[in-house]
Amino acid sequence: MNYDFTSEQNILKESAHKLLAKECTGQHVREMAEDEQGFSLELWEQMAELGWMSLLIPEKYEGSGVNFFDLSIFLSEMGYHCLPGPFFSTVVSGGLALLEAGSDAQKGKILPDISNGRCKISLAWMEEEGRYSPEGIKLGARKKNGHFILSGKKLFVPDAHVSDIIICAARTSDDLKSITLFLAETKAKGIRIQLLDTMAGDKQCEVLFDHVEIPEENILGELDRGWPILKKVLLKSAVAKCAEMSGGAEKVMDLVIPYVKGRKQFGRPIGAFQSVQHQCANMLTYIETMKYLMYQAAWRIDKGFSFEKEASICKAWASDSYRKLVALGHQVIGGVGFMEEYDLQLYFKRAKAAEQLFGDADFHREWVARGMF
Amino acid sequence: MDFHFSNEDKKTLKEVRSFIKAETTPELIAETHKLGHIYGGKEGRRFIRKFASNGWLTPNWPEEYGGLGRSAVLNAAIREEMAYASVPVVFVAAHMAGPVIMHFGSDEMKKEWLLQIARGEIEFSLGYTEPQAGSDLSALDIRAVLKGDRFIVSGQKSFNTASHVADYHWLAALTDPDAKRYHGMSLMIADLKSPGIDIRPMTTMAGWQTNEVFYNDVEVPGKNLVGEINHGFFYLMSALDYERMYPLAAYEKVFDMIVKYAKETITGGQPVSKNPIVRQKLAQIKIQLEANRLLYYRLAHMVDHGQIPNYQASMQKLFATETAQLITNTGMEILGPYSQMKEGSKHAVLSGQMENYYRTSVVETIYAGTSEIQRNIIALRGLKLPSK
Ligand SMILES: Cc1cc2nc3c(=O)[nH]c(=O)nc-3n(C[C@H](O)[C@H](O)[C@H](O)COP(=O)(O)OP(=O)(O)OC[C@H]3O[C@@H](n4cnc5c(N)ncnc54)[C@H](O)[C@@H]3O)c2cc1C
Repeated sequence: MNYDFTSEQNILKESAHKLLAKECTGQHVREMAEDEQGFSLELWEQMAELGWMSLLIPEKYEGSGVNFFDLSIFLSEMGYHCLPGPFFSTVVSGGLALLEAGSDAQKGKILPDISNGRCKISLAWMEEEGRYSPEGIKLGARKKNGHFILSGKKLFVPDAHVSDIIICAARTSDDLKSITLFLAETKAKGIRIQLLDTMAGDKQCEVLFDHVEIPEENILGELDRGWPILKKVLLKSAVAKCAEMSGGAEKVMDLVIPYVKGRKQFGRPIGAFQSVQHQCANMLTYIETMKYLMYQAAWRIDKGFSFEKEASICKAWASDSYRKLVALGHQVIGGVGFMEEYDLQLYFKRAKAAEQLFGDADFHREWVARGMF
Repeated sequence: MDFHFSNEDKKTLKEVRSFIKAETTPELIAETHKLGHIYGGKEGRRFIRKFASNGWLTPNWPEEYGGLGRSAVLNAAIREEMAYASVPVVFVAAHMAGPVIMHFGSDEMKKEWLLQIARGEIEFSLGYTEPQAGSDLSALDIRAVLKGDRFIVSGQKSFNTASHVADYHWLAALTDPDAKRYHGMSLMIADLKSPGIDIRPMTTMAGWQTNEVFYNDVEVPGKNLVGEINHGFFYLMSALDYERMYPLAAYEKVFDMIVKYAKETITGGQPVSKNPIVRQKLAQIKIQLEANRLLYYRLAHMVDHGQIPNYQASMQKLFATETAQLITNTGMEILGPYSQMKEGSKHAVLSGQMENYYRTSVVETIYAGTSEIQRNIIALRGLKLPSK
């Protein structure tokens, strides 16, 4: 057993930290929340140049070799700085779906473009029921003249408005579990995208498919067999999300702890009050448990071990713990933390958004229970 | 990072498991239960001496002191196996005092004590608490006066568990009452059979016994002083960091029993385990057990890398014991009124163990440093928050 990063991993972390501290300030994050595109193309290209987009992509597709663990280190830093933009939907969810199920031709065409930052992807599975189950997917795909015609509505699709490709989960037969994944070009006729206004200013979209024609070769994986792929991608994405969350939690600690050491009331630092200390001790316990559960799950994915149980354990725990940690942070900081200009609010909102993505704590506890019973 | 046991450790753990399976008797389980999982009873000694002859009580000690020269990870894993199997698991000599002797004791002291400890031949009881000194160990009052080559000890200890079955007392006493707080205390080893020692039982609400220990001009050989005189508080703090390495597996076993019960018990025409609320609760425990496992082995990782666990030990002790109480309370909820039936009672389920563990778990967040003290440590040492 070993709980340490390698020295290379420490260097990775530091270099990502340095770049984002410079380019992705609280100011930038606020601007991007207002901005329609929601990210800086310049920073995107810089990250691509540094190879950040290539971390999950095998060398033969112009990537740097699949390394989920190292990716989790980068994602932590992105979470620390609240990096806005389609990195997660493209590199993590999109990339994972292609890696999991893509044909050689599909991978050869798309993965190099992900790796080089030329292609952005979004994964569209949620619909009006807002559930993570195959039954919740109603958007239908009918076969006609060697094509599939997709009709229906997807909700809460991340960054669809800037994506080149949308991976769409559609129902291909009446059997409740028959889901198929399609690669749709965003500019295809019949796709209409509308931005939704969200609490955290992240870019979620409604995507309308109005008789969108998609050639059969754009099926990702096999016909009717999309759900198991999607499930795997969602679980790995959940772990990746936990990496982002634990990075965010780290930043909250960096905001809160120095503050309670410096702020004085009743003639002493508020951090000397035991009720404040105990809240802070709970925060440290939340973050350390979150981190190790996340690293363990990422490590298992990286090594090719079974990871489903650990992924659900980690997302359930992180979903609750990150929210509680931010709430405790707000409590011990007091009024100033409630001000828009104070960065804590960025994390408050993102903690809730992340909690609800890829399954919340109740959802993953149920999946853990399925493993037990 | 790497979260697996090495192949070598896996192999040893397999041997440990089959040894425990082969050698555990109902008498041993009953005695362990009655004593509250401490070491020192007749059955326990028989079992542990055989167990320890494999080096398994102290696998991370050097071979010359009866260890195997293996990792702290293995040590931690073996302790979990023991806890899960309901054999004795609280070892003051091997797991609390021993590491302090190893770090701070003189060569003679190491030679005299470590091998016996590693072989399970002797057990200590922990002699810190006094009536006026609980969380605040700087308030100790028991005196040890150096006279020639021996200390003369007088005073009173309380809550000194295992003193009625152990051989020696791991005693914290004042050697310089005039010194500043923390600077007048020493650690020494006293023979519990010495004339002038009087051990009186204190019965707990869990049924097992702890003790008051009275010293009336008791002679303790000067060579039994641990490390340097008046440095005791520092040694004691680092010993506590080992003590706080808390194997949770005894409660994990209770959890497994509850899970099995939920699967096999039918209410309203279906297994209890189909109830979504029950599922949520039990899954939450499973999650916390996993988080605890990672905090626990982090401590071993630290020891293997030459560090003494510090606030990290407090965090694990805190997290584990709160999880233990979550497990027992959840078990009481799921078993309902059956949970209250005592062992041997009509209608008792799970051999009446639920109510017993529920009672026992109360003290987990109190001894070895209360949860409040652990949070103080995490805040002050882990986050470096100001103390005033
Ligand atoms: C069954 C049992 C077995 C034990 N076995 C042993 C043993 O073998 N050897 C041994 O030496 N001791 C043993 N103890 C003693 C145990 O370690 C103490 O009970 C424990 O440290 C707490 O001390 P106390 O009971 O005096 O409570 P107190 O110290 O009086 O604490 C009472 C309350 O005040 C709180 N409090 C105290 N100080 C602070 C502070 N600074 N900040 C915030 N809150 C504070 C505590 O958290 C607690 O909630 C045992 C105790 C029990 C009950």
